[in-house]
Amino acid sequence: MAAPAQLKTGLSTTTKLLGILVAGAAVAVALGVYANAHTPTHEKPYTLFFSGTIQLKVWLATLALVLAGVQLLLAARLYGKLSIPRQAPAWLGDAHRLIGTAAFVVTLPVAYQCLWGLGFQTASTRVLLHGIFGCAFYGVFVIKVLGVRVKGLPNWVLPVAGGLVFAALVAIFLTSSLWFFTSSSAPRPLF
Amino acid sequence: MFRRVVNAIEVLAVVAVAVFIIMLFANEPGSGGAAASSPGGMIFSANCASCHGANGEGAIGPKLAGVVVPAFPNPSDEITFVDHGRGIMPAFATTLSAAQIRDVVDYTRTELGK
Ligand code: HEC
Repeated sequence: MAAPAQLKTGLSTTTKLLGILVAGAAVAVALGVYANAHTPTHEKPYTLFFSGTIQLKVWLATLALVLAGVQLLLAARLYGKLSIPRQAPAWLGDAHRLIGTAAFVVTLPVAYQCLWGLGFQTASTRVLLHGIFGCAFYGVFVIKVLGVRVKGLPNWVLPVAGGLVFAALVAIFLTSSLWFFTSSSAPRPLF
Repeated sequence: MFRRVVNAIEVLAVVAVAVFIIMLFANEPGSGGAAASSPGGMIFSANCASCHGANGEGAIGPKLAGVVVPAFPNPSDEITFVDHGRGIMPAFATTLSAAQIRDVVDYTRTELGK
């Protein structure tokens, strides 16, 4: 079984580290710039099988968070921080990749709706923070994925980047879905 | 075997990202929106549409199209409401002139939802 393709470079560790940091930052900034520059359409392009666009966003974001929680447990087992099951199965690493990919894909329809339909808003602290966390999430996600692929990085990079991805997702959830679940009557957004 | 499936799914995820980026740029709604032409419409697009939707169909703020006239039978009550705001709805008395508020209120009563 071949390991996932890795990029072998002759660069120094610092250069590689800087490189993935810059790539992540570029993605986060690019999303922010798009969200700010693009004229929000205020349209709801799809609801898939949900009762409305906001429900779609809330439930997909919740699903992503649940999957991310599983990721945290899988990663803890991979690094031997957990010892259940006692024998880590050989497919654990691939399961971590699979669930991570699923969690990421699930966030895309949500982010699309935010970026394309609503854009960067500063109307309230919650909304402002939510936008910042949203951009940061994809930035740290890029750093995490590149951290897996680029060889010869210090071994703290992956756990730290993975932890940040999880933290960003939690922050996004707290400033959106949780608020939605707890504000049953007050003016709730439709998307 | 499992690894191959995961690899294939990762490739699909990359395709999804490509679609995501293309749709961010390619998928612009048609001229849409009743707004623009009239002064009231321009004020609405710039100040109200982000919460009430391009056609007043409601979003963060409630639907306005077709409901403001029954809610405020007297236009001056709606003007007062927009002046002062309520809850999340900001007060506009300091950001828009009295004439602008009159125009935009008029627009919400006559043009939205047409
Ligand atoms: C930051 C978001 C936001 C913006 C911007 C905004 N509104 Fe509102 N608006 C709201 C919310 C939320 C409510 C519901 C307030 C409540 O009842 O607590 C509301 C309520 C209203 C109502 C009363 C609707 C009813 O049926 O009672 C009117 C009229 C209105 N807005 C007009 C406007 C106009 C005109 C503008 C632009 C000049 C505007 N709004 C801009 C969020 C916004």
